[in-house]
Amino acid sequence: MKRMTKLALMGIAIGLATAPALAGYKLVPKGVPIAVAKSTLMVTPSTDWNRLGARPGRNAESWTLDGLTLDDLTFYGGIANDTTLFRDSKKKTEPLPRFSSTMLAPDIAQLFESSYRVSIGTSLMSIDSVEPATFAGRPGFHFSYTFVIQGEEVKRKGEATGAVIGGKLYLITFEAPVIHYFDATHGAAKSVVDSAKI
Amino acid sequence: MMRRLALGAAAMSMMIGEIAPAQTVSSPVIAATAEPAVIAAPPYQPQDKDERGLWMQMDEQERQLRNSNFVIRDQALNDYVRGVFCRVVGPRCSEIRVYVIRTAYFNANIAPNGMMQIWSGLLLRTRNEAQLAAVLAHEYVHYQNHHSLMLFREARGRAAGAAWLSMFGLVGALLAIGQISAIFQFSRAQEADADAESVGLIARAGYDPREVPKIWEQFRAEADATAAARGTKSRKDKNGGLFASHPPTAERVTALTAEAKKFSLSDKWQTGDAPYRAALEASWSSFIDDQVKLNDFGGTEFLIAYLARDGWTPNLNYARGELYRARGRPDDLKAATGFYRDAANASGGPVEAWRGLGLSLLRTGDQPGGQAALKTYLERKPDASDKSMIAMLAGGTQ
Repeated sequence: MKRMTKLALMGIAIGLATAPALAGYKLVPKGVPIAVAKSTLMVTPSTDWNRLGARPGRNAESWTLDGLTLDDLTFYGGIANDTTLFRDSKKKTEPLPRFSSTMLAPDIAQLFESSYRVSIGTSLMSIDSVEPATFAGRPGFHFSYTFVIQGEEVKRKGEATGAVIGGKLYLITFEAPVIHYFDATHGAAKSVVDSAKI
Repeated sequence: MMRRLALGAAAMSMMIGEIAPAQTVSSPVIAATAEPAVIAAPPYQPQDKDERGLWMQMDEQERQLRNSNFVIRDQALNDYVRGVFCRVVGPRCSEIRVYVIRTAYFNANIAPNGMMQIWSGLLLRTRNEAQLAAVLAHEYVHYQNHHSLMLFREARGRAAGAAWLSMFGLVGALLAIGQISAIFQFSRAQEADADAESVGLIARAGYDPREVPKIWEQFRAEADATAAARGTKSRKDKNGGLFASHPPTAERVTALTAEAKKFSLSDKWQTGDAPYRAALEASWSSFIDDQVKLNDFGGTEFLIAYLARDGWTPNLNYARGELYRARGRPDDLKAATGFYRDAANASGGPVEAWRGLGLSLLRTGDQPGGQAALKTYLERKPDASDKSMIAMLAGGTQ
């Protein structure tokens, strides 16, 4: 029970400490090409988006329209060999799997699934399809996934499109609750993915 | 559906504090036989307002848990677990609802109202019916001896009751299943009590009590294996996380071994290896898949190797292949091709072994071999969810 109180206090403390960062949304104006995820990956959104100040990882960044839990567009810009997709925050007890340059599309989908399962502690996640696709004018892949966060129970659907270029992984994912939000914002997200250039 | 309705009714009767009708004394017909009349006690009901309050809070949690996506609804598996539980604790098993939860970690817990959770990661790790019975008995003892209520009263005695109660408000906010269990962290004395009584319960039910300390020996060995593969220090004696309130595992092994020795050896003791394996067969692939995807190479390899103690089955070889391919170092990929080959060539081997074999071969530079294996996969599983990608990798026209 001490742990619960501690958790609650920690939650408040973290909330206070990170509040400015969390509140740090920046407008991404439509129609203006912009480099994302500290990389050479360029996209041109067709609607205004909000960029989250806090990055999920060194080479990642997230955008949203209605709030990250309702729609989440995340860019992974050049994940290098032997690095994780996002921040390895529990490196000692729950380390994340690492990307390898030799990975094929199905391996990357599995890396993504495993990273999610470990980081959000869920066993309800599946890759529902993997297919070839063109990403930023290069041969790449596209996969779709569904997952539920334990204790939250909202069913979410997601799509990922990417390619391995020069041994580095470039990936854009879009995910949102199955109910209403996925369909409502899918078009806006897809146009960002389609505009990707490297 | 029927089961859900029945559960709903049970929860509701508890919510309104209705006393369930006492089970009747055996009928005259039965009494006329030579068998002694058995007077079954009515189901336990909360006795005072503290206990009623606790139950009401947990009934609300249970209402949410019951609808959770994580509850495994497989009737056969649920019936099996309940059967083992009732064999161990007797008629009072009807007071408990056991929920099997799909989550890859090793845990079980019980709330004061009789809501018990058994996680799928635990089912993957207990190795026979006796060990499962011991876990179920351990949780039951917490319920039977009102450990939560005792803790609550103790906390209130220290004028901390308000703080304790306020945590129930947090449950609603945090809701995570693991965190619900954190509320019911029993004291070490209570855990030791539950351990000791559980050994007696399973021995009297005809299970081998020497299996109980093995659960913790396995836990320690797995923690060592996890640490060795990660190059970190083993957490087997770390008493944090899920086991923060439990006695250290080494101590538990010693105490449980001593407890088991109190019973004179019986040749009628069962471990229930075969029925346990049979009951888990249908779920096993998804449980091991959950485990492989936890990125715990050492712990998973340890688990798979134990399960293979009587020989490597195609499914075990496939699981090992998946584990090695997921880590994906050059040596791992070579090893994985061997495991996949064994799985694919065996009769009754999973068709996915061809997929794993093909992908591993492609990554080790054997393009013709890899493409051939992937083609075999597609021939045998034409409706695969990743067929268009695999077809392209297999050199098809996609």
